[in-house]
Amino acid sequence: MASYLLSRTIQILLTLFAFICIVFFLVNAQPGDISNVYAMNPELPPDARERLQSQFGLNQPLWQQFLVYVKNVFTGSFGLSFSHYPRSVADVIAERLPRTVALFFTATVFSFYLGFMLGKIIAWKRGGWTEYATTLGGVTLYTVFTPWFALMMIWLFAFKAGWFPIGKFLDPVLWREAPIEANTLFGRMMLTALALSIVVFAVFLATTRLRISGARLIQLGSLVVAVGVMIGIWRATGTGNLAWDIIKHMVLPVLTLTLISFAGTMLLTRNSMLETMREDFVLAARAKGLPEKAVRDKHVARNALLPVVTSLVFSLAFAIDGGVIIESVFSWPGMGQTLVAAAIAEDLPLAVGAFVFVGIFVLLAHLAVDVIYVFLDPRIRY
Amino acid sequence: MSGAPLLAVEDLTLHYATRAGEVCAVDGVSLTIEKGQALGLVGESGCGKSSLALALLRLQPDNAQILSGKVLLDGVDLVSLSDEAMRAYRWNRIAMVFQSAMNALDPVYRVGDQIIEALEQHVPSARKQLIERVQELYDLVNLDHSFIARYPHEYSGGMKQRAIIAMALACEPDLIIADEPTTALDVIVQDHILREFGNIRRELNMSMLYISHDMAVIAEVSDVVAVMYAGKIVEYGTAEEVFTRPIHPYTQALMSAFPSVTGEKHELATLGGEPPNPLGLPPGCHFHPRCPFATDICAEQEPPTVRRGEHWADCWNPPEEQGDD
Repeated sequence: MASYLLSRTIQILLTLFAFICIVFFLVNAQPGDISNVYAMNPELPPDARERLQSQFGLNQPLWQQFLVYVKNVFTGSFGLSFSHYPRSVADVIAERLPRTVALFFTATVFSFYLGFMLGKIIAWKRGGWTEYATTLGGVTLYTVFTPWFALMMIWLFAFKAGWFPIGKFLDPVLWREAPIEANTLFGRMMLTALALSIVVFAVFLATTRLRISGARLIQLGSLVVAVGVMIGIWRATGTGNLAWDIIKHMVLPVLTLTLISFAGTMLLTRNSMLETMREDFVLAARAKGLPEKAVRDKHVARNALLPVVTSLVFSLAFAIDGGVIIESVFSWPGMGQTLVAAAIAEDLPLAVGAFVFVGIFVLLAHLAVDVIYVFLDPRIRY
Repeated sequence: MSGAPLLAVEDLTLHYATRAGEVCAVDGVSLTIEKGQALGLVGESGCGKSSLALALLRLQPDNAQILSGKVLLDGVDLVSLSDEAMRAYRWNRIAMVFQSAMNALDPVYRVGDQIIEALEQHVPSARKQLIERVQELYDLVNLDHSFIARYPHEYSGGMKQRAIIAMALACEPDLIIADEPTTALDVIVQDHILREFGNIRRELNMSMLYISHDMAVIAEVSDVVAVMYAGKIVEYGTAEEVFTRPIHPYTQALMSAFPSVTGEKHELATLGGEPPNPLGLPPGCHFHPRCPFATDICAEQEPPTVRRGEHWADCWNPPEEQGDD
């Protein structure tokens, strides 16, 4: 396993280098540079434009620019952002990334959970009207025109009903005198979510392994207690209302994203289940006299899980990319918006940096899938 | 053979609804198995023997339906039981050794845990006792204890088959249905496992329904033999009677298609034609298009039952009694 991980890490570094090369030259292949943005400005003298170019090193040959860029990547700054000068690209991304991750990770996890549960049920009750209704509804949402659907959600739940804020990720009035930075709070919220899921997972694992009777009740109880404790801690720190504000802003985009994407997982799970249901060990599980629910969950769904997990981890990797459409409609200042703004402003280092970050996450996700498979499928050993 | 039989199947009929039409896979089958007896069910692929086996546990596929008949186990009709009540009979009273032992174990769980899963369902007790029980079972089928905590892919074909047999024995069922359990194994391993399985079965006084297309295997394991053709039992009798004095031409054909090691050398006979299309069974005796002794009446009317003591067959033109072969 250790030698496997080592060789995979080397592989990842090589792939990443190739990826950086391709992205750098592709993005630089487009005509123009940052000085174009000012070219139409009559008040900018020609020599000022040249000075701008030489200041950013844009008059040097491309291969030299590339060497500088590679050095910047491996020293961790990813170069300077032109449009956020003098901040580095890494600094800008560090500000935007947590917001996107909080939104899209949450939505991806919800949509996979919903999709897996529904897929399991419709595969089991195949042929019934539940299957047709669920499939039709899911696919309709999956294929609906996203900006229209997102606007309808805002109109219905934020404007008409007034349950949620209309856009943005926080309420500026509330935050004016906040003692803490939004990003620091974001970090703490994500740590809380992580701690919560670890607690719940540990209790779930312990109760199923030890075969305690009333496992359901203990799981539910521990979830309530854990959530209660977390809320208590947040209250005590006095930042609970700020966190609640961010959560309120997240509900609508998360709901929208979940609704438009769960059908993919649902259909994948359904097909995977139907394939597994033909296996002899499923017949054997029935012959053993197990209840239908145990046959479905313990044997069929457990084996059907593998392709679904692969798809989940890759979706999580792409979640840092954000969604340009969703972020625009909900005015969510995340990676998707940053990427678009960088492209329009000819801020090439920031655009390349955003792509490279996606690449890093996707490569890490590949590694994660390989490691997770070892736990999910005992046949796989490295 | 005293008292009521352990299992009595009475006039069981099972249909499949397929796109091409209704298929009658099991057509009015009746048979009985006494306590401790082994019944061998032999027939070509597709004759309905596996459908019959699954129907006994009510595990027939979704598109199959038991139209009529009874499956009486100790006098209780399994066909009319509720699903919940039926579950208590599965494995606890009737266990099964599957056709493809290779795939009958779930690849993601340890084999020991899969046996424990069956035990917990029917005879729950503390985990320590369950593990001890699995160790007993592994001793019984000659598997090393260290394999209890291993996964199916770490077993060889023969070991998987032993583990499956151990699993079938777990709840000490009254009846074990073995559906061609050794077909995927090489002959030597097959022979070993059959012998050991037979000994265990006799020791524990379990009944068995052994399904195979292999006459040699059936001859080795069965006390009583039933020959199935196109969904019907066409011949039934003690193994000795059926193998030494077969009545039905189909049984004769099956037997002459198998080589004898000790007997005279002769060209093996083959049975011409193909198994009948289940969607359009020939009228009269279903076997008549392939039968060397067929006469006009065979194609027109269902054959009568010829009885010679306990041994019977459905045929219009049975060979003379006291015939040599």
